[in-house]
Amino acid sequence: MQYKDYYKILGVDKSASPEAIKKAYRLLARKYHPDVSKEANAEERFKEVAEAYEVLKDPEKRAAYDQLGTYQPGQDFRTPPDWEQHFGPGHFHFSSHGSGDFSDFFSELFGMGPRGAHAGGGFAMAGQDVEVKVPVSLEESLHGTEINLQLAVVERGEEGAPQRVPKTIKVRIPQGVTDGHRLRVPGKGGKGMGGAPDGDLYLVVLLKPHPLFKPSGHDLYLEVPVSPWEAALGATVEVPTLAGRARVKIPAGARAGQKLRLAGKGLPKHGHGAGDLYAVVQVVTPPQPTEKEKALFEELARVSDFNPRRHFGGV
Amino acid sequence: MSFESFADCFSLLDDGRRATLSDLMRVSGLNDAELLELVEFGVFEPVEAGAAPLFAAHSLILARKAGRLRRDFGANVPGLALALTYLQRIEELESRLRELECQLPR
Repeated sequence: MQYKDYYKILGVDKSASPEAIKKAYRLLARKYHPDVSKEANAEERFKEVAEAYEVLKDPEKRAAYDQLGTYQPGQDFRTPPDWEQHFGPGHFHFSSHGSGDFSDFFSELFGMGPRGAHAGGGFAMAGQDVEVKVPVSLEESLHGTEINLQLAVVERGEEGAPQRVPKTIKVRIPQGVTDGHRLRVPGKGGKGMGGAPDGDLYLVVLLKPHPLFKPSGHDLYLEVPVSPWEAALGATVEVPTLAGRARVKIPAGARAGQKLRLAGKGLPKHGHGAGDLYAVVQVVTPPQPTEKEKALFEELARVSDFNPRRHFGGV
Repeated sequence: MSFESFADCFSLLDDGRRATLSDLMRVSGLNDAELLELVEFGVFEPVEAGAAPLFAAHSLILARKAGRLRRDFGANVPGLALALTYLQRIEELESRLRELECQLPR
């Protein structure tokens, strides 16, 4: 087990006042709280910060922690032999709505459970809700899929001590899930204590990037390169869709960025149809035109009076 | 390691399920008076009003967020209402931004 330097995590001195600790926590919570932060690893950082604050804001826990002496961050740590004599089960107070998702270091020192959490004490506590991110490909969203989730769920043992319990849960992901979509699996979170209900499992879908299609809700966007003459004269081109190929009519005079809708070729919607696929026209020129192609473009430039910048006025 | 049997997920966004006030209380840790105050602020909108209001199931997501913000920032109910309103607005704008980015060439 690795030692955690809670003062360093909050960026305060060992002599910091309760006000300074609260201020440091608030600044870091604002920076890393997963509901407001876009920082990488915000969730992990916030868990560390919240754990450090849980200890340092409480004079009793802080004093006990300070007694441990000085270790280097990450240094191997063993609980002192007389720790349980002084700080046995039920010694520390916990707020009733804390996340409970603490490190092994914290659980070993303070995780003796809330007061009265012993077996037979009539204590009841609902199981922890668990939230996990699930990467899903567009193809999996199209058809629905089954996944095996490997979780470490915080559950309380008989004496109320929180511990991480590994669990594998096989879940069915329904068709048509999109980025940020939330799913709930009732009763598959942490186990409840004393007859209280088990927690729920929440899945947050993250769509994996696709080489061709860009999703927006249930709609998909596909960039369709066309040649200048296809854009000018119109053409029917074959394009990929998630479920095979389709033909799209490029109208004569098509513009770059023009969206052509293929109705119902997006991701399925729960119980009511499907999103659309938008073919977005991109006009591309031959990267290395042949002499003949160049000559034909030059001929076109000579005979055409088309001015695409006419609306600029006399420029 | 325990291996749980097969479990079906259900969507919290669009399958027409309902959540009760007790459901919102359970997932958020807020009490009924606080949640009803958030209803007054328009953060939660009951789909069926009355003595036992019912909410769309996706309200559970918002309730969990409300609970986290309250727990981690010590926000009061008006502060929560303001933060949740702005977070929802940011989500809408990010969604619109994603849609527009889809239309740009790579």
